[in-house]
Amino acid sequence: MKETILLTKHMRDNPEDSHLIDSYEKNNGYSTAKKTILESSPEKILEEIKASNIRGRGGAGFPTGVKWGFLAEDEDRYLVINADESEPGTFKDRILLERDPHQLIEGIIITCFSANIKEAFIYIRGEYAKPARRVQQAVEQAYQKGYLGKNIFGSEINLDIVVHLGAGAYICGEETALLNSLEGRRGEPRLKPPYFPAVKGLYMKPTLVNNVETISSVPWIIENGGEEYNKLGVEGSTGTRIFSLSGHVNNPGNYEIEMGSSFGEFVETLGGGIRNNKKVKAYIPGGASAPWFRGDQLDIKMTIDDVANNNSMLGSGAVVMMDEDTNLVSAAKSIVSFFAHESCGQCTPCREGTTWLEMILDRIASGRGRTSDINLLLDVCDNISPGLSWPPKMTTICPLGPSAVSPITSLMNDFRDEVESLIPTKVLL
Amino acid sequence: MSWDDKLLKQAKKIIKLYPQKRSALGPLLHLAQSKDGYISDDSITVISELVGITEVQVKSVSTFYSMYKQEPTGKYLLSVCKSISCEINNSSEVINKVQEFTGLNNNETDEEELFTFEAVECIGACGGAPAVQVNYETVEGVTPENAINLCEWLKETKPDVVVADEMQENFGGIKSFDWAIQDNSGATSTAPGFQTLKTTEVKK
Amino acid sequence: MSEKVNLNVNGIEIESDPNKLLIEACEDSGIHIPRFCWHKRLDPVGMCRMCLVEVETPRGKMLVPSCTTEVSDEMVVDTESDVVKKAQEGVLEFLLINHPLDCPICDKAGECPLQDQTMAYGPGESRFVEEKRHFEKPINISEIILLDRERCILCARCTRFSDEISGDPLIEFIQRGNKTEVNTFPNEPFKSYFSGNTVQICPVGALTSTSYRFKARPWDLKSTRSTCNGCPTGCSIELNSSQNKMLRILGVDNDAVNQGWMCDKGRYNFEYLNSDSRLKTPLKMMDNKLVEIEIQDVYSELTEFIKDRQTKVNFLLGSNLTNEDYVAFREFSKTISQSESSFYLNDDLLYKGFFGDNIELAKIDDLNSSDAIVVWAEDLKEKLPVLYLRIRQAVKNGVKLIVFGHTNETLSDIADVFYGKDMVSENFEILKDLSKMKEINNLVVGKNITAILGKSTPYQADESITKLFEFLNSNANSKVLNAYSKGNTYGAFQTLENLKGLNDFVNDISKDNTDLLFIVGADPIGRSVYSNQIKSIIKSIDTVVTLDNFNHETSELSDYVVPISSTLGEKEGTFTNIEFRTSRIEKLVPSPGQTVSDWEFITSLMNFAGLKAEANSLEDLNRKAYENLDSSLSPVFDNLDKPSNLDGMINISKPKISTSENKLNKTMFFTGEKLYGDSATERHSDSISMLGSKKFIEVSESVVEKYNLTSGSCTLTQDELEVTVSYEVNNNFPNDLVYIPTNRRELNKFDFSREILIIPTQVKEALNVN
Repeated sequence: MKETILLTKHMRDNPEDSHLIDSYEKNNGYSTAKKTILESSPEKILEEIKASNIRGRGGAGFPTGVKWGFLAEDEDRYLVINADESEPGTFKDRILLERDPHQLIEGIIITCFSANIKEAFIYIRGEYAKPARRVQQAVEQAYQKGYLGKNIFGSEINLDIVVHLGAGAYICGEETALLNSLEGRRGEPRLKPPYFPAVKGLYMKPTLVNNVETISSVPWIIENGGEEYNKLGVEGSTGTRIFSLSGHVNNPGNYEIEMGSSFGEFVETLGGGIRNNKKVKAYIPGGASAPWFRGDQLDIKMTIDDVANNNSMLGSGAVVMMDEDTNLVSAAKSIVSFFAHESCGQCTPCREGTTWLEMILDRIASGRGRTSDINLLLDVCDNISPGLSWPPKMTTICPLGPSAVSPITSLMNDFRDEVESLIPTKVLL
Repeated sequence: MSWDDKLLKQAKKIIKLYPQKRSALGPLLHLAQSKDGYISDDSITVISELVGITEVQVKSVSTFYSMYKQEPTGKYLLSVCKSISCEINNSSEVINKVQEFTGLNNNETDEEELFTFEAVECIGACGGAPAVQVNYETVEGVTPENAINLCEWLKETKPDVVVADEMQENFGGIKSFDWAIQDNSGATSTAPGFQTLKTTEVKK
Repeated sequence: MSEKVNLNVNGIEIESDPNKLLIEACEDSGIHIPRFCWHKRLDPVGMCRMCLVEVETPRGKMLVPSCTTEVSDEMVVDTESDVVKKAQEGVLEFLLINHPLDCPICDKAGECPLQDQTMAYGPGESRFVEEKRHFEKPINISEIILLDRERCILCARCTRFSDEISGDPLIEFIQRGNKTEVNTFPNEPFKSYFSGNTVQICPVGALTSTSYRFKARPWDLKSTRSTCNGCPTGCSIELNSSQNKMLRILGVDNDAVNQGWMCDKGRYNFEYLNSDSRLKTPLKMMDNKLVEIEIQDVYSELTEFIKDRQTKVNFLLGSNLTNEDYVAFREFSKTISQSESSFYLNDDLLYKGFFGDNIELAKIDDLNSSDAIVVWAEDLKEKLPVLYLRIRQAVKNGVKLIVFGHTNETLSDIADVFYGKDMVSENFEILKDLSKMKEINNLVVGKNITAILGKSTPYQADESITKLFEFLNSNANSKVLNAYSKGNTYGAFQTLENLKGLNDFVNDISKDNTDLLFIVGADPIGRSVYSNQIKSIIKSIDTVVTLDNFNHETSELSDYVVPISSTLGEKEGTFTNIEFRTSRIEKLVPSPGQTVSDWEFITSLMNFAGLKAEANSLEDLNRKAYENLDSSLSPVFDNLDKPSNLDGMINISKPKISTSENKLNKTMFFTGEKLYGDSATERHSDSISMLGSKKFIEVSESVVEKYNLTSGSCTLTQDELEVTVSYEVNNNFPNDLVYIPTNRRELNKFDFSREILIIPTQVKEALNVN
């Protein structure tokens, strides 16, 4: 299996200076944006995006063209780039920000042209200081060249970009929480309805919120045509995608591939196999929110639909391999702790439930579990995500609470013995 | 107002970037963090006036985000990742070693105000697990031993600019991806190093 | 769009207005859905998740919060399915795992939604074995409010109220996730005029008031619905008592008036009822001392004055009388006096107002349906607090707001246009040609507007406000709400003739035309800007009879002092609000000692004197008050007591105000009143007694410079009078203007028509040393 290099081409060809505008332009950078601004029309761009069938790369996988089509009319509309990459296991946007920021900016220019937007924000998580610096430097260079600001590329069009630094809150990756955060508020998800960003987004104005990888794909799609992009990958999962591979593999890293091969093939070839030739006990196919697959499920195909059909999700494209020696209770506890820490606290079940789950798991992991804890765990989970089904039902506003349920149901469905073995069965006298 | 003219000028520049004043609240809190090493009540009062909201509204926002510290931090904020990829790659041992070396529990600062230690959630360096940040500058593939070496080096040389690449070269290991680009920029405080905040410098 | 939608809830077909929230639609049809965070008067947040119901969708049944889901036609809803019940149990268990369950010592127990819903929908047991979340037990977040964060279930009702409704967001969520708590900023207490509302809407015992804390158990409370007579807004309230003591007042959701809200003064200024300092026996001035006498002796001695009907009698009436009290004095006056007497209302600002055939008077609800609201009056937040809330509500709903003048800065933050010192002079005159103002042309001309007009200060010329009124009346489709600010002023308007204010009192009254003066529920010497003049008039008059709850500066100069029962909870009657809405004043507790109602006293006196009162009972007086009105529409007790009329009945009438133009000369000082002062009832209501005690002035920046004020305080002197005050700079003031709040004793004693000296404290200290 080989990578298909679209988004990561420039950074590979020009490893030392791919972040600088001169290098980017030498390799035809900004030519697509320029052509678009001077020769194309918003409708044509939207058509190409629709034709590409690209789906959002942030996690939810919503068709990008459809999303753009929903944007309500208004004099003020905004584009917000979601660069709040915080899903454990995910580090693909980081490379795009750090090593090819101009590709993102070019994508923003084309997107804003298509949607008649004059102001864009790049919301980068606060812990990504270096990537943010690279993007800020790139934005400044683009302003100097006249690609941003007033009359870009000599046209009548104005476009401003502000790079905004987050401050440590995973929940801001949820688009409406991100908008609250960008407005200087607590990063609490908004109610949908009525606050759909495409209608009532930033400052209650129609707003497009797109992931870094999605918008970084735009220049290639426009340059080569939506049809060309649509030919890559498989139906429902077109184009390439950057997967972040981590865990017990020999070659962790970001890999840009067409979707369609199996996880097993991916790990064996590009990932270089599991360290020390160990077996996979379990793996996470799409970030910490995703239910796990067992080691005997490595033949599942890496497409949005195949993973969904197996009751998990491709999510943010973060694959975490856990070998046969992994303590899965500790692993699950780590993930549950993560969500408990990151719960915004609005919804009762998430605020109280995630912390309670963490407490119970902690008790079990440290040998203080009770036999009744297994049913308790499952029932608390059920009160956050009724029925424990997939895709999850929720008693909460956003999916963060149910995300904490995923590792526990995985653990209970497939590795119950491991949990039970930690619970002392007899009281020692 | 307890902010000097220079800082106020910068604050006003930041406010101008946004269509609505309140959007500058986040960046202004980062400024406050860089000024005092935490979000002081004094800074909250200044910011509330700059943005035109009440002090408790500022506090409500500042305490929501984990990077705005509620207690003073040391010169170096040591953040060791404990999320899943790091967890299964032995981050707990890195945490133990750093705690041993600094004598600090989670979210504590030493008396010399040199180190603040925290075990944190995912910092997006999962391919280079276990990972550490010093003042939000990332070091990947940090072994327990190198974690101690890193702390020792910080203690001895007390760099004013903390640079990711420099630390990676000396104390790092496996990386999430090839960093490729030479970069000597870094952070000058326990707020993230960023041009707009004037919290970054290039180390000579 | 006005067509109804039909939905099926639990197998029952119900009808609802479109755009309604499911929880409301169900409620209207008698289907109760449990909830904590949802409150009819607050924006829904869908946070507590208690109101989850199952709705059928193309993708199967979905759990949705009924507080954020709008109804739609043919919607199929289940509020009682197993899934819903499981979710409700789950939410309650989650809420209780960190709740202290200290119900035995909690004020809320017995009327606690968390307790009640746990009974009805809860799991019955907790499986939580870990340590609960701990916080310091209750902390004072203001002088009158306490917060117990352990009891708090984070429903955000209080934080939303203070942000959305009252506009003073001083309490907020702090921290996040499982560590979230409600709190204030250090040294920035929850000093809102409306903070008591948060206690009332708190669904647990997290927010409590110092006033009611540990005072009673809800199941011991007696209660009745009544009307607050604190200002002409006339909020609907519920009085609560236990063992014949008034213990609490709650706001009642009268959609047309206060929508459940109250100001804190209305809520807590009842504690004086239980004060030991209440007047309980009649007093008579003998040898310069007030000594106790029997009420019979008062009657017999006064009879000597009035029985021949030759005595010249006048009346200075307060605003805390019921309409029936006013009628009693009217009838009394007609009977005893050959000549027509005047009724002087205890109001420095009474003026003719805007009433008449060509003037359409507004209702409070008109605020919401106007294109714009124009305000020029006293500070509404200080004087008509809940009307201020209604303006905020209208603005939130998109109504434009145009505000004039230095006294209305509390509305400036939400005003579309605030015409401050550039537009309104230090004389309270509009400086520019209104017809040439762009904003006026855009927002007012040709639009439906509600104008809230009243005089801002005693020296403001009537003419200046008339000008604005005339402009609005001829250039817009305007309705007027006359912003008189004293209690039952509109009740007096409906019942009395020949009404005048205190400015007329000082011009008219002398011993030549007054042998006998009744002062009822008023302490003009302690409160009016005409204090000194009134004092000398009162001293000169032969016989002065004061009726009141407490002794005060005016009663101390009276010949007779009669203790009366309070209109708040101690007697029955009616009250008329700013929109001529008349509603019930009810009795809940007995009044102390030998106290009588004003009407009882005056009717008894007439009977004692053999003057045959036409109206001998409260019912008679009540009927007499409205005898000109069609009986089926008049707010007589029989009508008001019908369930459909509990919110009051509107009967607009044209008041007979015969006051003359104010003559108070303009100086650099202008006067006004803050919500809290130090009147007798306030001083004897513990919770709020300190809130109006601070003596301060507000000054323009230029005054600070001119007088070299540096230390935060200064001394005001005039003749022998010397008062030290703190000063606050108000940038909305024109140059050289100083505001003095006169509802503080001493501060009202200056002669405001003459110069008052301002001496900086440092100079004063130097003078004292020498």
